[in-house]
Amino acid sequence: MIKDLVNPTNFNLMVSKVGDVLVRALDKPLGYAINWGRVWSLWPVHLETACCSVEFGAASGPRYDVERFGIIEAFGSLRQCDLIVVQGTVTRKMAPRLRMVYDQMPEPKYVIAMGACAITGGLYIDSYNVLPGVDGIIPVDVYVPGCPPRPETLIQGTMLLQEKIKRSKIK
Amino acid sequence: MSDQEERISETTRLGLEIVKEAEEDRLMTLSVGPQHPGSGHFRFTVKVDGDYIVDCDPDPGYVHRGEEKMCEYRNFIQNIPHLERPVIHDSSNITYSYSLAVEELVKIDVPRRAQFIRAIASELNRQIYTLYWLAIYGIFLGHSTMFMWPTGDRELIIDLMEALTGARVTHAYNIPGGVRNDIPYGFKDRCLRQVTNFEKRLKEYEDIFYNNPLLRQRTEGVAILTKEDAIKLGVTGSVLRASGIPYDIRKAEPYDIYDEIDFNVQYLKTCDSFARAYVPLLDMRESCHIIRQLLDKMPESGEVRAKLQPNPKGPPGEAYRRVESGRGALGYYIVSDGTPKPYRVKISVGSFRNLLALPHLLVGSKLGDMPSVYWSLNYWPVEADR
Repeated sequence: MIKDLVNPTNFNLMVSKVGDVLVRALDKPLGYAINWGRVWSLWPVHLETACCSVEFGAASGPRYDVERFGIIEAFGSLRQCDLIVVQGTVTRKMAPRLRMVYDQMPEPKYVIAMGACAITGGLYIDSYNVLPGVDGIIPVDVYVPGCPPRPETLIQGTMLLQEKIKRSKIK
Repeated sequence: MSDQEERISETTRLGLEIVKEAEEDRLMTLSVGPQHPGSGHFRFTVKVDGDYIVDCDPDPGYVHRGEEKMCEYRNFIQNIPHLERPVIHDSSNITYSYSLAVEELVKIDVPRRAQFIRAIASELNRQIYTLYWLAIYGIFLGHSTMFMWPTGDRELIIDLMEALTGARVTHAYNIPGGVRNDIPYGFKDRCLRQVTNFEKRLKEYEDIFYNNPLLRQRTEGVAILTKEDAIKLGVTGSVLRASGIPYDIRKAEPYDIYDEIDFNVQYLKTCDSFARAYVPLLDMRESCHIIRQLLDKMPESGEVRAKLQPNPKGPPGEAYRRVESGRGALGYYIVSDGTPKPYRVKISVGSFRNLLALPHLLVGSKLGDMPSVYWSLNYWPVEADR
């Protein structure tokens, strides 16, 4: 009887249920602390898809300085990153690479679609090589409109994302 | 005896095969980009033998948005905003040559005051572009100060352009027939002050970056592009001038007002990576002289925009005009069939030509020199892909 019950499927079920109980127990005391850590250390992947990267560069420069809001201009591995800013037009050649980069990032991960092209295709909506928006291939958290968005707009978008993270439950 | 000979030859053959396989295994293929600290929207694969690059295969086209095809379903005025997107930080230059070509097709003359304002916008934009290029070059070499300083100084020139055109980077200021609007009140003084301050800043750049022994060691004598090779590969702009050829479109085939301006073509004869990094700085300094002369000679009042019909069209024909942009010769070839929309538009950009020199320079150099060699080619992937 007991031997029948002990199998990998049931073991996995039990582990996940114990995990659920643990998360529920820890959510209130620890959730605030964990989210606080996530909010103030967002590491973006350095993946430039089109021309909005110029304004992203300006935003990390000395005048706009996104680092004071906890967005670190990372030049490291994407295995350490948790934010992907899609900087503009996504073409048919770039789309599989974007998806691959997104899949390789560890959980939890957030996406900001920057610029009109990343939202709907923008100026290039009738071009033969451009995707009409990036939300067809990866889930988007915050849309930042503009062509290109001013650095202030990008900073406001990241602050909205931080609000979202603060209110979300830990996984 | 014959058996033995056969056996020996077979052993030799096997041995040779093992040696060959081992040699092939020694080569390692590295893929650089598109997710990469610097290259961004560009990918190339290099084969390395230890520390030396033996093969390089560039793979552009990640931002190919079909600009040339899109031109065919918009009219001449509607084309301006999307044509400046390939180089949004050099947008006045990329629309300059388009406007010149359309003016030749539609056959209109540009007012004299508009020609001066266009040239000022073009020179300011050259500085904005080159400062961004310099900032990324600093990142490539791990020099963070050289990212912060040019990015900060760039904002001051962007403020000036914002006062002039109303937009931070995408100006859409040059239009066929002149410029969109007149200069604002007090622009002249502000521009002069900015140019004077900027020239002082350029001296500081030289002290901290160009006279830095680390930069000198990493770039001097590295990846030499000789005069003959530069002509054979067809590179343009600062890369050509760094190879000892004083060629500048502003001097060779002067457009608009440039034949009245007195300036020197800046070039160096050392042909190495350092020369390619240094020529853009000399260009910025020369650009300051040009802006000063333009402000001095500009007529006090007058038209800034020639009268143009709302939907301009010209007789069937073709036009090719080019300007000197931040990256070299930038030309538009437009064919018109008499309708308000162009029949065919071909954009000839400097970035793509400079890319042709990349495999030539990288093969034989060290892997550690790859970033400095790549970015010294003054290459902007979005423009090359169009």
